[in-house]
Amino acid sequence: MALGPAKNIGGNKLDLIKGIKAAIEALTKPSAVQHEKRTSLTENATKVLNKGRIILVTKLDSEEEIKNIKEKFHGTLLYMNKNAAATDNLMAINHCDLVILNLWPEGPPCPMPIKSWPDVSTIVSCEFTNIQCGTALAPKLCNLVLKHYDLASTTVTGIPMKEEQNASSSANYDVELFHPAAAHAAILKGIPSETAHLKTYREGTDYETVTLKWCTPRSNASMELQHCSSAYRITSVDVNSRPSSCLTNFLLNGRWVMLEMPRKSGSKVISHMLACHGGDIYIHTMYTSRSILEDPPSISEGCGGRVTDYRIPDFGELIKANKLAPFPAPTAESEESLTPLERSKEQLNRHTKYWPITLSSTSLFNLGPQIEPLAALMLEDNLTEDEVVECKQVILYLMNMEARGDPLPSPMAGQRGKGMKREDQYRAVWAELEQYLQLHLHTPAHEKVLECLMECHNKAATPEYKGDEKVDIDQALKELDDCNYVADRDKAEFGSGGGGKHATGDLSLPDSKRRRTVPPPLAPMGRSSGMNLLTLWENKVSSEESRRCLEFQGRLKSEDNVTKLYVNLQKDKDKDEVPRKK
Amino acid sequence: MPTVILLDVSLSMSRGVDVGSPCQDEEEAERLELRKDLAAHGCHILLDHFVQHCKLEFACLISFSSVYKILMPFTRDFESIKNALNLVEEGDKTSIDVGLVGAAQHILEEWGNGTPCQIVLVTDGNAGIGQHAMQKSLMSPHSRGAAQFPLPFPFPAKLNIVCIANPSEPSFQTSKPLYQRLIELNGEGDILIPEGGLSKKSVSEMFDQLIKNNFSSYSGTLHCGNLSAPITLSPPPQPYCRHHDFEVIRVSVDSAIQVLGFLNTGDVSSPPAFSRHLVLPLSTKGDMVMLPKADGGSDDESSGNDEGKVPSFCVLLHGGLKRENMVALCQVGENWYGILYSWADNKKKSNLMLSIFVPGHDVIPWMGKLSNLGPASLLPTNPYGANDSTPFPIKVHDKKSYALNCVVWVRQGGLQSDIQKILRHARKLPDKTQCP
Repeated sequence: MALGPAKNIGGNKLDLIKGIKAAIEALTKPSAVQHEKRTSLTENATKVLNKGRIILVTKLDSEEEIKNIKEKFHGTLLYMNKNAAATDNLMAINHCDLVILNLWPEGPPCPMPIKSWPDVSTIVSCEFTNIQCGTALAPKLCNLVLKHYDLASTTVTGIPMKEEQNASSSANYDVELFHPAAAHAAILKGIPSETAHLKTYREGTDYETVTLKWCTPRSNASMELQHCSSAYRITSVDVNSRPSSCLTNFLLNGRWVMLEMPRKSGSKVISHMLACHGGDIYIHTMYTSRSILEDPPSISEGCGGRVTDYRIPDFGELIKANKLAPFPAPTAESEESLTPLERSKEQLNRHTKYWPITLSSTSLFNLGPQIEPLAALMLEDNLTEDEVVECKQVILYLMNMEARGDPLPSPMAGQRGKGMKREDQYRAVWAELEQYLQLHLHTPAHEKVLECLMECHNKAATPEYKGDEKVDIDQALKELDDCNYVADRDKAEFGSGGGGKHATGDLSLPDSKRRRTVPPPLAPMGRSSGMNLLTLWENKVSSEESRRCLEFQGRLKSEDNVTKLYVNLQKDKDKDEVPRKK
Repeated sequence: MPTVILLDVSLSMSRGVDVGSPCQDEEEAERLELRKDLAAHGCHILLDHFVQHCKLEFACLISFSSVYKILMPFTRDFESIKNALNLVEEGDKTSIDVGLVGAAQHILEEWGNGTPCQIVLVTDGNAGIGQHAMQKSLMSPHSRGAAQFPLPFPFPAKLNIVCIANPSEPSFQTSKPLYQRLIELNGEGDILIPEGGLSKKSVSEMFDQLIKNNFSSYSGTLHCGNLSAPITLSPPPQPYCRHHDFEVIRVSVDSAIQVLGFLNTGDVSSPPAFSRHLVLPLSTKGDMVMLPKADGGSDDESSGNDEGKVPSFCVLLHGGLKRENMVALCQVGENWYGILYSWADNKKKSNLMLSIFVPGHDVIPWMGKLSNLGPASLLPTNPYGANDSTPFPIKVHDKKSYALNCVVWVRQGGLQSDIQKILRHARKLPDKTQCP
């Protein structure tokens, strides 16, 4: 396709047909989205239409020439359509609008009037416009643009320009904006006689504009949700004039502007709103009619409205933990099965596996900030060793609280039978905690936490060993497992209790064993089974020892802590060896 | 949707039901049932349904014959409409267009031209003497405009014509094409006629059918992860049906609304909404409960109070959103999203509201593609980390012409006013500068 100025074919005439042909050819090529829709295997594929507009800017002298061009255009279009229909890559044109702009020099007016032929044929419509070269060209083109792209014009008036107040000049500081015509649909609907006053003609143009008055919004307009029906991008007609740039800068700095509709009577009505989002300025169309939701019931008047102990602050935390943010667009390689939004749904599912909605339906979540690390960590995908330890700590803390007999914070301040009630409360807490942990067994690390809880509750002493001092059984057991720093912290917390606690990690085994074999009778949690602390401890230690090294043969064979050495020696009385004692 | 009950009170409505009609019971044959009594009976059924299931809807009663009369303007007090029904006076000839003009006028006065409404025209299947004139105006569009013919309505409306008539009546057969043309002009609506003969029972069934087709309330479930609550939406959501560039999209709202995540109110920035609905929790019995305001203690309200004491997830969600000033992004259908937020009217009564967007992923340009929104905590750096920082709005790459800084004078006036501004500032400068 050769582009360039039209060839002179003699007699001051130019060959326009070549250009027209090139234009029609370009129209038969489908755009990317047309091609995509055409080749998609949906039922809509055959319904894709190809419509277009060709604007011919030239100078014509007579009606005869216009007629010529129309006929030639029509003929060429039919011919090219036939060609296009025969191929797969090109699309036949269903309808083409030919706009002829006749540029006429200054001087005597053009003899040909402005005319339009909407039905040259079923596939062609034509329009002829005279434009005087020079300053009249720009407004005329604006008019055509409005028509071709279904745009409308809004004039913002009453802009509080500082200059106006000082200089008392009567310069007009109206700003004209173009935007899709649909933004006006709401206010122009209705009985035509009532809406006729909204549209006025601007001087120097032949299109109508709707004049709206500027209304300074309350400062927090952007933080409230206004009820809009649509939002369209705008452009200012006179982009660089001072009032226009003042308005656009005002908007680009994040302020919102309300626009008021002129009304013959009655209170003012805000019909539109200008706002900037991410660098683009939009005009929002507001709902102006009376809302059928006026005087709604309050949330406290419906089901569940009389309950006063909803866990709203905790739910607030859940909301903050599930905020959405834009993810980078998925590339072809990273074809994950889930979209980011679906992942958010899954995360919400996990966070709400066990979520009591009122304070009175939970005892676990009333315990305050101490329980929070456990509650939060169990929701994670993976737990590190430190995090597992942190969870176990919370369990141990609770055990200690129970052992100490601390009252549980309860929203319902039960007054009767403190002793029994407390036990019930603790039982409820443990049951709830177990249920909670059971629901969150995502990885083996999570299972460890549950195991810790189960172990705590399967150990107990027989009733006769109930003594005065209460000591955490498991705290003693676990301290050997845990790292130093954990143990040090625990030492401070669990200071009360029996003297048998030595909370350093690398005690030599014999020392600890020695000390612990003479403990005061240790009391269990109140559940009975056959084991006592001593047997537990011995089992634990012996299992530790057996892991570390082979047991000393002497100890294995010992009876009553005494091993006879060199037993074979007794058989040989003549050998002169000194029996060694243990 | 606000409903207009447009009642025909012409003389033909005072006709009795045919005694020879096969469906009449023995007892009813004793009393002469007038068609207008049957009409009132049917309207009572409709109003009872409103009282039970559509407490937040508005309805009004307009009667027409050769003139129209607004017997009860739009109200939520359905009992008063029932009372007004009992005081209906007889008119004279049937002029349906007068009735429709009256309905349209009242709706425009009260609701403007944007609110979809329902018009239930209760008549006796006889379009009367006025029908020939109306037929003429229906057929030719030119006389329609001149005589201010009411159809098509200047607002979205559903027109249902309920005929208290025997299907085999000759007058109905003549009027039926007229009714059909009216409905065609309006776009949406239906003609209803009792099945079998004309009797109280068949009229009741017909009104039940009307209710089922047009006034059924929405009942669904609101889910947030594993938490959920049964809810209703007021007004009931309408299906979306629009033509786009390449396809016609028709979708209805699902019965399960899923919360997907949360966003700041300032970030969503008043997005355009297709429709807006109050989210009201349903009781275990499945209906909406309106507890009396604040004063407890009386015995007959105890059942209501019980419902009030059963915790509902809706209240929790509302409380959380209000406290944090955030909105919940939710999915209402395939590829169709909306936001839930706490909304208070002028009187400071707040409730949970759902705004539904237009169907699609890319409908809010400053939020990007909605399916690309995911949990902020899973991103390598949480964009909400620092104070008040937020990843929204999504910035566009190209700067628009109004955002570029350069002054160009296209019109003479612009250059003049700028020079004058400089001169004004120059005049204000002091004569001598104060040097320290």
